[in-house]
Parts: sequence; structure tokens; C-alpha cells
Amino acid sequence: MDLESLLPTLLGLAWLLPLASFAVILFAGPRLGDHGKGAAGVATAAIVGSFVLSLMAFISWVAQHPVHAVAHDDHGGAHASADGSHGSPASHDSASSHDSHGSESAHRTVDEGAGHAGPPVSYSGDWYTLYEGGRLRLTIGWYVDALTVLMFVMITFIATCIHVYASGYMHDELHDITDHEVHLADGSHLHRPGRFHRFFQALSLFCFSMLGIVIAGNLAMVFIFWELVGICSWFLIGFYYERKSASNAANKAFIVNRIGDFGMLIGLMALWGALGTLHFADSTGLDGQARPGLFSLVRPPVAGHAQWVPDGMVKFAAAEKVGAVLRSYPQDPRAGVEQVEAKVEDWRDEGYGRWLLLVAGLGIFCGCIGKSAQFPLFVWLPDAMEGPTPVSALVHSATMVAAGVYLVGRFYPVLTPDALLVIAYVGAITLLIAASIALVANDIKRVLAYSTVSQLGYMMLALGVGGWLAGLFHLVTHAFFKSLLFLCSGSVIHACHTNDMRKMGGLAKVMPWTSGTMLVGCLAIIGAGVPFLDIGLSGYYSKDSILAQALLFARENPSHSILFYAVAGGAMLTAFYMFRLWFMTFAGQPRDHHVHEHAHESPPVMTYPLVALSVLAVVAGWTLPGGFGIANLIDQARPAGTGGTELGGLLFRAFTVPAEHASHAHDIHVTASLTAFATAASGVLLAAAMYVWRVIPPAVVATAAKPLYTFLANRWYFDEIYRFLFVLPVLGISRLVSATDTGVIDKFIEGLAWGAKQVAGFDAWLDRTLIDGLVNGTANATWHAGLELKKLQTGQLRQYVMFIALGTVAIFILAGLLLHSSFAG
Amino acid sequence: MGIAPILAVTQPAFWPLTLILFLPAIVAGILALPLIPRGKDDSIRWVGLATTIVVFVLSLWMAVPAIFGTGSAGQFTVGEAGMQAVVDQPWIPAFNINYLLGVDGISMPLVLLTTFLSVLAAAASWPIEKHVRPYWILFLLLETGMIGVFVSLDFFLFYVFWEVMLLPMYFLIGIWGGPRREYAAIKFFLYTLAGSVLMLLAILMLYFASDVGTLSDEQLIASHVVSPVLEGAERTAALTAIHSAHDAGKPVHTFNILALAAIGQSQNSPFAATSFWGMTLESWAFLLLLIGFVIKVPVVPVHTWLPDAHVEAPTPISMILAGVLLKLGGYGIIRICYPICPGAGLSFAWLVCGLGVVSMVYGAFAALAQKDFKRMVAYSSVSHMGYVMLGLGVWSAVDGHGYQWDAWAQGVNGAMFQMLAHGISSAGMFFMVGVLYDRVHHRNLEEFGGIFNRMPLYASLAVAIFFAGLGLPGMCGFIGEVLVTLSSWNYSRLLAVCSAFTVILTAAYILWAIQRVYLGAEYKGPHGDHLTPMTRRELAIAVPLVVLAVVFGVAPQLIFNYVTPTVNRQVETLAEWTRGHDGASAPAGAAASTDPEKAEFQAAIDSFSVGGGR
Repeated sequence: MDLESLLPTLLGLAWLLPLASFAVILFAGPRLGDHGKGAAGVATAAIVGSFVLSLMAFISWVAQHPVHAVAHDDHGGAHASADGSHGSPASHDSASSHDSHGSESAHRTVDEGAGHAGPPVSYSGDWYTLYEGGRLRLTIGWYVDALTVLMFVMITFIATCIHVYASGYMHDELHDITDHEVHLADGSHLHRPGRFHRFFQALSLFCFSMLGIVIAGNLAMVFIFWELVGICSWFLIGFYYERKSASNAANKAFIVNRIGDFGMLIGLMALWGALGTLHFADSTGLDGQARPGLFSLVRPPVAGHAQWVPDGMVKFAAAEKVGAVLRSYPQDPRAGVEQVEAKVEDWRDEGYGRWLLLVAGLGIFCGCIGKSAQFPLFVWLPDAMEGPTPVSALVHSATMVAAGVYLVGRFYPVLTPDALLVIAYVGAITLLIAASIALVANDIKRVLAYSTVSQLGYMMLALGVGGWLAGLFHLVTHAFFKSLLFLCSGSVIHACHTNDMRKMGGLAKVMPWTSGTMLVGCLAIIGAGVPFLDIGLSGYYSKDSILAQALLFARENPSHSILFYAVAGGAMLTAFYMFRLWFMTFAGQPRDHHVHEHAHESPPVMTYPLVALSVLAVVAGWTLPGGFGIANLIDQARPAGTGGTELGGLLFRAFTVPAEHASHAHDIHVTASLTAFATAASGVLLAAAMYVWRVIPPAVVATAAKPLYTFLANRWYFDEIYRFLFVLPVLGISRLVSATDTGVIDKFIEGLAWGAKQVAGFDAWLDRTLIDGLVNGTANATWHAGLELKKLQTGQLRQYVMFIALGTVAIFILAGLLLHSSFAG
Repeated sequence: MGIAPILAVTQPAFWPLTLILFLPAIVAGILALPLIPRGKDDSIRWVGLATTIVVFVLSLWMAVPAIFGTGSAGQFTVGEAGMQAVVDQPWIPAFNINYLLGVDGISMPLVLLTTFLSVLAAAASWPIEKHVRPYWILFLLLETGMIGVFVSLDFFLFYVFWEVMLLPMYFLIGIWGGPRREYAAIKFFLYTLAGSVLMLLAILMLYFASDVGTLSDEQLIASHVVSPVLEGAERTAALTAIHSAHDAGKPVHTFNILALAAIGQSQNSPFAATSFWGMTLESWAFLLLLIGFVIKVPVVPVHTWLPDAHVEAPTPISMILAGVLLKLGGYGIIRICYPICPGAGLSFAWLVCGLGVVSMVYGAFAALAQKDFKRMVAYSSVSHMGYVMLGLGVWSAVDGHGYQWDAWAQGVNGAMFQMLAHGISSAGMFFMVGVLYDRVHHRNLEEFGGIFNRMPLYASLAVAIFFAGLGLPGMCGFIGEVLVTLSSWNYSRLLAVCSAFTVILTAAYILWAIQRVYLGAEYKGPHGDHLTPMTRRELAIAVPLVVLAVVFGVAPQLIFNYVTPTVNRQVETLAEWTRGHDGASAPAGAAASTDPEKAEFQAAIDSFSVGGGR
């Protein structure tokens, strides 16, 4: 089998296995083993199967497309060799793998950064059509490139670890549970049966949905699975649905995400309405006609993959002119259409459609703001920690929340420089706000949640300043060490039965594995490494590349240098709050002896995954001699034409997005890694000074900066502000709308009815006095018949029906006469 | 009689369609006779249920030939755009009123939905103990009325069925309803009657303005004014009769919907020619019909009958009301308003779309404020039916590629899908509310909670069907909403953004309701000990609805296979009509400047052809 059909098969199966597991647990649930214990086995087997299949796909990918060093000094070298080893061009109708070595060199003329101008190797096609009408087609399909394969391996590996871990962590759910957080009306605690299998059912559905986002061949499919991960997240956050806080958090997460989806829908509409396609790659319709995809529409090969406003958007924006042209050829529509086509170039030069492309990009990014918990929609993620800890590790740190970053990376070719700058600023604001809140949080999971938000901000910022590779690289390394950190915190919570770090301390001795692996996680997230030897943990490499790119961006655009300071400052805050967490939890003396006495190391089923993840947290960033490494693998998927310098200036004053390879320049690289080292070291030292050596007691700092502390401890009052600005007004409007119905519209209708009743009453009076007098005998007979009929009915209603029927007939006759005479005449 | 065998040959659908249509009414008539003695209520119920099942199987036989082997005459051919299974018998020849029935890709799925929901609603009628015999008589009459509206191709017949449907509904709410049943029933009756009176006016206007003599022979046959069954001399005679009457200045009026559509779309439509009080007859007819139909849909601001009717109606009637009756409005717009009055449809497209979007947003806001579970679901119907209106109205035939119809066709296809999907999900939601109400006899959203732990199976099914209403992908609600929303952008950016905004509100009111009813630690209301698991009968109703909600969400082409060919053809035709219309009626100023050019152009062509002939 060649790669073109092998990859969709392997990854398709890897994608569907968790769905099968979901279906099995849904129907067989509690009957799987003792109290549903077998559900863990089913789900784990499925995800292990997915992992194996993904690994096979990975290996066959790497065998066909060897991973080489990033070719920043050899324009296009990496791609040329990657393409060269890829055999025959696409022959299958549904595939569109670009074997375009020739065209690549032919169009390598954009600018100095054109080394990455060629299209990456990718395979795409459609499995299934949801709707097709005319040019428009919504499908379920695949788009597989190096990034897809890597994401599959990453997600299934972490999910496997978490499935194993959860089968230990969730064992309480195997028997009846007393939930001490739920107080019933009679004052007792809730006693309920366990629902072990429900947990794994939702986890399987989540894995299916998440893999669906990654393999998606078009934006509509992304949106479908985007919503599905949302609902899985709803199930998992609300797993303890008896707790009001849990169901509130679940609803908050879904609804806040829907606000992002509102923007995403607008982006989808802007693309769909003007371009008629949501496919990433070129595709073939059911009618056999080739349809260009988004990537080649926005960055057409004829323009050397440089970004332009596609024809459809130009015509859409110039709709009035198009209409005028068409109307001027009433006899010959074809000539009109030709005339329109001829004018598109002029209209594009006049700037038609530029705003539409920007709206499309920002719209899609809105969805990412929601899903990846960026400012201003990040408020749902900390609350989502109501879910069981394995869920926080999988869904709310490593995978689902990273989907927004992934989508920005996937959608990158369509994003205009101005959209990118917006993304960068959103990322910068997010990373600083979240890091500042993490400084003072005392709930171990919430510290990690804010840390996640902050790191996602890093990734967004990286993508925004042109660091496509840096952002996605950090996405992968972060997934490993953040899921590790969450699982460690889960192990701590499992041992201490509390989330409050103020009750912990000195746990390192009783929990050696947990504290050791968590230390690895903390070192990875702060990017620990040795600058001059260029060796460190995984976070070192990805964070350095973000810093380097931000620094480059700041040098090119001095007015935006705040972006670099945000990254550097954020790095220091990260180091501080992560080591504050570690020191408070594991170092020093126990603060609460009751908690400490009961603490114990977790069982092997929980610690093995920690070890596995900590190994990856160390090595995931490494590049082996010869060039094999995650960074270079991701770079194989670099979208055509996105490696170069881009000019922006629609929303902002003119600026440039620098080419990413330029950030590998020696002076940038050294400055960046020294900055990273200095900020991280100072953060760690400060944390040690406050929480280990106690030279600066935290309480003193808190009182010295009381207003700031309160402000941060209340999370900048975001929840309160949103409640005041959005929730209350919406509820107010809804009550107003409802009152309009009953108070205005209904009153009006009732008034009409009252009037009709009066007329009817008058009519009835006429009947009784005038007509009845004339035809008394008939009336008598009718009366008696009426009495009989009355038994069938319920009084009052009869009158209405009669008068209404009479009215109808009268109108019928009148209208007929009137109209007949008017038309006849 | 002799007529039956002839009909079976010439109009193979006569008996199947007639049986589907009238079997419920016939059984209703039989039930009215004292054949089943008093006190044997269960026998009446079984007869009623059996009737709906037979009708459903018959319609299934007709609509899905694949199940019953190869298609025989009279069955529906899936994927064909045109009108099929046409039945044509004279009824009141003096006024050219015919017993003219037929189904196409638009009406066939709706008929199937009606017969299917009737079975479920019949099963849901078991707990009704009051006046069992009259209930079932009215119920079956209602089914005939609903099917009749969907299959009638004669406008007069359409109107008759429309009214036939109205009265049983009035009594079903007014007698078997809740505490405020009389108020709700009269409100329903007055609203709907106002609509039908206006509709009647429009029907008569169109009738008296129509003249089938203006149609070509092909059109006369295609629209069944002259039966395609006729051959040779008989056909010629029929055609000649019409044309000679026309030539003699005696117009031949018609109620035939297909013929009216052909007239309305013709180059010199008489509907567009005559005008009074400043508007063309076409516009008057369109508006009157539209009001009649949107009351049924319903759209804001003529929607207030719906929450009251739903809250008071018994569960099965709510299912029918939401599942089928609301679809009649949408069906009327797509079958009658647009094809017959295309000019008015084009100029009032903004009105249709605007009403749709206002309903979506307004309904969603109102749903958010409700304290009564059933009222909340009722307002969700207002919001969801707004999508149907928006999808039907997005008349965006012009784009950069000329007069392309596909964005618009997507909207109409989406609207059709939304109608069918909403038929499933809203019936399901009302049934789920009914299950709870049957047990605890209240619907106060604040007094539930903890149902998930008390009735796990029921709660799972209910949450699933509410997710369908939420528009979750993989459930039926998603496809229609997303198609309509995506299509609206090309018509109007503002409306598109408003419609996209609705997804936030929808999530809010549905999730909030789920939280208050199903989640939580314990049940807070009265009669907690009555929260028993679902019965088998209830499961037999709920499970098919949930299964269909998933099946249609995962495999929407099951519906699109029927709907798309017909919808696409209608939209294509109207888009073509728009092109002619736009070309013909360019703005006055522009026309003045281009007219000489046009004349010159025409002269050039003429001289060329003359020269060629020489």
C-alpha cells in the first residue's frame, strides 16, 4: 500500500476505535465486568489500538519522508528532499498530494524567505458527503500531513497514559460513593452508586472527537468535532453533576465556547459565502470537477503561494459592481460573466475583499479564543477544574484546549498579517493576565489551569508574530509536560484529599515518585536548559524559539516590542508560580499534619504513566544527530508560502511579520536563550526565597501590596464584570421579551377578541329580537335540537364557533362578489 | 362501478394516496357509529393506533420502495424532481375544482413525518381517559386534515383540508387540555382563523385573475390541467377547448397550484399586471398568503398562540402540533407563495428573512426567561422555526458568477431539513416533558432536579433529544441550522450575524433547563415518589425519536435524497426567472440609457439574420 491510501486508513481506524469503545460502553456499560470495571479495559484497549495505529502511520510517514534539519540556510532544501522521496503524483481522484518539486522551484520568487514557499506534502480526500448542491459541498474527509500524524501520536499517547492512570484514580466509582461535597435538604451527604463506566464512555467519545478535529479535511468538519469535544467537555466537567458547582462550570464552559463559536460561524460564513468551499486542500466534487481548496485559493501557486484576496472574495466585496456588469448584458449572460472575470484583477488591486479575508481569519480565530481559553473568553477553563483530574490533564491541558492553537496553525495560510497581529496581542494579554492570577492561587489545580491558559497564550503569541513552527512546537512539548503536571497534582490530591496547597508541604518524602516527576514537569515548563551548550528539557527548545521569534518581531517593528517583553516577563512569572507550587506542595515542613499523616504514594497504575510522561517531557524537544526531531517533523508541514516576510497594515500601521527562519540567526538566538535563562532563574530564585528560605515571607508581600493581591486573588474580577456586563443584561432582555408577549401582544389580541365578542353579542341580540320573532317556529325546533347538541359540547365555545363560521361565510361571499366584479369590470 | 379498474391503470397512485389520506377519516366515521360498546375504551384505542400504523405502513410503502422490493406503479421514485403519483378527478367542475393530489420531494418526506408522528402520538394518547371515543375520532380526523394539506395540488382542496385540520385541533385543545384550555383553544382558533380568512381572500384573488389559456400546451399537460393520461384526439380536444375559450375572451380560471405557478412565473404574468391600491395583485396575494402561513409557523409577532396552546394541550397533541402543524406554514410558503408569486417573493424576501431572524432571536430570548418547562420548549420551537423562514427566504441568486442558485438552494434545502429535523426533535422534547408531567403533575423548572439519578434511562434519552434541539453535530438539529446559517451570509450580512448569534442563546436555554431538571442532587418538587422508570409504551415512543434524531444527524442524505432534487429544480427555475426579471426591469434611469443601445443591438442582430437569409 502506498502512503496515500495507507495513511487515511490507519488514521481513520485510529480515529474510529474510540467511537466503537464509546458505543460498547454506552450499551453494555454496567454489565462490563464487576460494576462496569471492564469499561476501563474496553476504553484503554481502544486507545492503545489507536496509539499503535498512529505509531504505524508515524513510522511509515518518517520512512517515506525522512526528517532533516530545518533548512534555514539552504532555501527549500528540506522540502525538496521531502518531496523528492515522495513517489508518484496523485492519481486517486480524492487525493491531492502535491508533488510539485518543479513548480516549487519555478515559483520560488516571493522574497528572501521563499525557502519555505513550496507546498508541504499532504494527502487529502473525502470519506462522506453530508450535503451537496451545485458548487457547494460539505463533507467528512481527511487532510493528513506531518503535523496531523504527529498530533495523532501525541494525543493517543497522552490519552493512553491517562486512561491507565484514570483506571486507578477513578476506582472509588466502582462502588457506592458518599459525596461529601453535596449536602442534601435533610443535612446528610449524597449517597450514590458509582459510575466508573460513564467516565470511560465520555473519555472515549472525547478521544474520537478530538482526533476528528485533527484529521479533518475541511473547516466544516473541524466545526462539527469542535462542537463534539465541547459537549464531551460538558459531560466530563459535569461528571459530579450532583454538585451545583460542577454543573455550573460545565454550562459555563459550553456557553462561553459557544460565544467563540459565534465568531467562528461568521468566519465560516465569510469563507463559504464567497468561496463556496471549506476544504483545506484541493478536492474533487461528486461531478468529477476539480475544486480548489482554501489554501490554494488564498495562496495560489500562480502567485508563488503569496497571499492574495481570492477571486470569490473580490467579487463578493464588489457585488454591486458585479451586479451592474451583469445587468448591462441582459441578452447575453455569458458575456456578462466574462466581463466580470476580466475585471477581477482591477478590483483586487483596488482592495476589494481585503476586509472580508480579515473577517474570515478573525472569525475563525474567535472559535480558537473560546476553545483555547484566550482573553477575553478564558474564564471557563479554571472553573473546568471541577472535573476529575484525569480529565483536566487530557481535555483541559493537553488536547482540547490546544485545538484552538492547532486550528490557528492549520488555518495559518489564510490568516492575514493583521489577523496575525491581533492573535499575537490576544496571546500576550492572555499570558500575562493568567500568569498574574496563577501567582496567588492556592488551589493546586487552579494554578495549573491558569498556567495552561498562560502557556496557550504563549503559543498564540508565537503564531501571531510569525512563529508558526515555534507555536506548534510548544503545543506539542507543552502537551507532554502539562499533562504530566496535572497527573502529578491528581496524585497529590488522591493522597491528600484536598486541592488546597496551604494544607500541603513536605510531601516529597512520602511521595518520591510524584514529587520527582513533578519536578521534571516544572523544569520543563520553565524551559530549563543550558544556553551555551544548547541542551535542556523539552520546554527549553520550544520556549526559546518563541522568545527568538518575538525578539525578531520586536526588532523589525519597534512599536510592537511590548510583545517581546510580555514573553520575557511571562517566563519569569511562570518560573515563579510553578516553583511556588512545587515548594508549597513538596518542600519544607508539613503544614497540616492530619493531611500529611494520611498521605501516601499512589499505586503503580498511577505512577507508571507519570514516569512515561516525564521521559517525554525531557526528550520531546530534542533533535537527534541527523536532524530527526519533532521540530523538524512539524516543519515538513509548513504551509506553502508562510515562511516569508509578510507586510500588514489594514488594521494597524504598517508592520512586517518576519520570516521565521531569520530567528535562527546567531545573535537573536543567543539573546533569546540568555533572556530565557535569566528570567526563569530569577523566577525560581524568588520562589525559593519566599517559600523555602523564607527570607521574604509571602504574608508580608501580600500585606505590603494588599490592593494588588486582592485584585489578583479575585481573578481581576472577570467573573463579576462579565456577570454585570453580559449575563444580567441577557437575562433582563429575556424577561422583557417574555413580558412583551404576555403584556403587549396578548393584551392586544385579547382586546380584539373582546371587541369581536361585543359585536357577536350585538349580532346575537339582533337574532333573538328580530329574526326569531319572524321565524318562531323554526327557532323553536332549532332550540330543541340545540339543547340536544349542547350535551356534546362544553357550553361557551359553541357560540364562538358559530359566529366565526358565519363570519367566514360572509367574508367569503363578500370577497367573491367584490373581486369578481372588480376583475370582470 | 367500473371506474376503479380504469383508475388503477391510468392513475396507479389513486388508491394508495386516497387510502393514506382518507383511511383515518373513514375509521373516525366508523368509530362514531356505536359499534364498539361503551366502556370498551381500550378497544377504541387499539383501533385508533392500528389505523395510524396502517397509514404509516402505506405511506412507507409509497415513499420508500426500497424496503418493499422494487418499485411498483404508484410508488414514489426517490431522486426525481417532478410531481409524482398524481391523482386527478373532477370534483366541482363548475368552478374547475378538482380532486388533484400528488407528491414530490418536498411533500413526500412531510407526509411520512406526519404518518410517523401520528403513530407515536397515538401511542402517547393511551393515558387520556376523558371522552375516549370523541378524542380518537377527532385525532384521526386531524390526521386526514394534515395529510390532505401536504398532498393537495388543488388550492381549493388545500384550503378545505386546512380548515378540516383546524377544528379537531380546536376541540382537542379545548376539551382535553389543561386548566386554561378554553383560553388557549380560542386563541389558537382566532389566530389560525384570521390566517385562513386572509388565505381565502388570496385564493380567490388568484383564481379570478388566472387564465390557463395563456399557458402553452406543454405547460398545460405538465401542470395536469389537461391530464397527461389523455392521448390523441382526447388530448387535442381538451387543449383546443381551453385555447378557444381564451381566444373568445372567456378566461378559464383555475385552482390548480401547478398551473397557478406556471402562470405566475410566465413572462407576462397576469398576477403582476393588475394592481390596485398601489401594489400588484401578486404582492397582495403573497402578503395575504404569507400572513396565513406565518401564523402557523409561527413567527414573531403572531406567535403567542403557540406557548398557550402547547402548555394546555395534552402531550400527544403537543407532539402533533409542534411536529407537524408548524410545518404546514413552511410548506405553504415553499409550495405556494414563492412559485406562484415569484415577483413578490423577490421583493419581500427581506420580510421573510427578517421575520425568520427576529423569531430566532426573540424566541430564544423568551425561552431563556420561562419558568414552565413546556413553555420553554414551545418558545424553542418559535426560535427553531425561524431558521426555516430564513432558509426559505435567502433569495441570493446574484453573485460574482452570475445568477447562481446554489447558495439559495442550500438555504431552502436547509430549511426543509430543519422542518423535518424539528419534527423529530420537538415532538421528542414535548414527549419528554409529558413523561415527567404524567408523574409529578407540574412543569415548574425550579422544582425539578436530580432526575438523572431517579430515572437514569429516561434522563439519558431526554438529554439526547434536547441535544438534538441544541443543534449538536451528529444530531438532526445541526444540519439544518448550519446550512441555513451558512447560506444567509450571501443574502445579508446583518441577518447572518444575528442568526449566528442565536447559537449562544440556544445553548444557554437548553443547558440551563437540563441543569435544572436533570442534574443536581435531589428532586425538589412534589410527588417525588411517583418518579417511576419509563414504561415500555413510553420507551417505544421515545427510542424511535432518539434513534431518528441520531440517524438523520449522521446520515442527512437520507432526507436530502428526497428533498434536494425537487428543491434544486424549483430554486433553479426561480433563479432563472430572477435573471429574466432583473434584465427586464433594470432601474428606470439605467433603462433609459441602455434602451437605445439595446435597440441598436437588436437592429444589428436583425440585419445580420436578414443578411444571412439572403
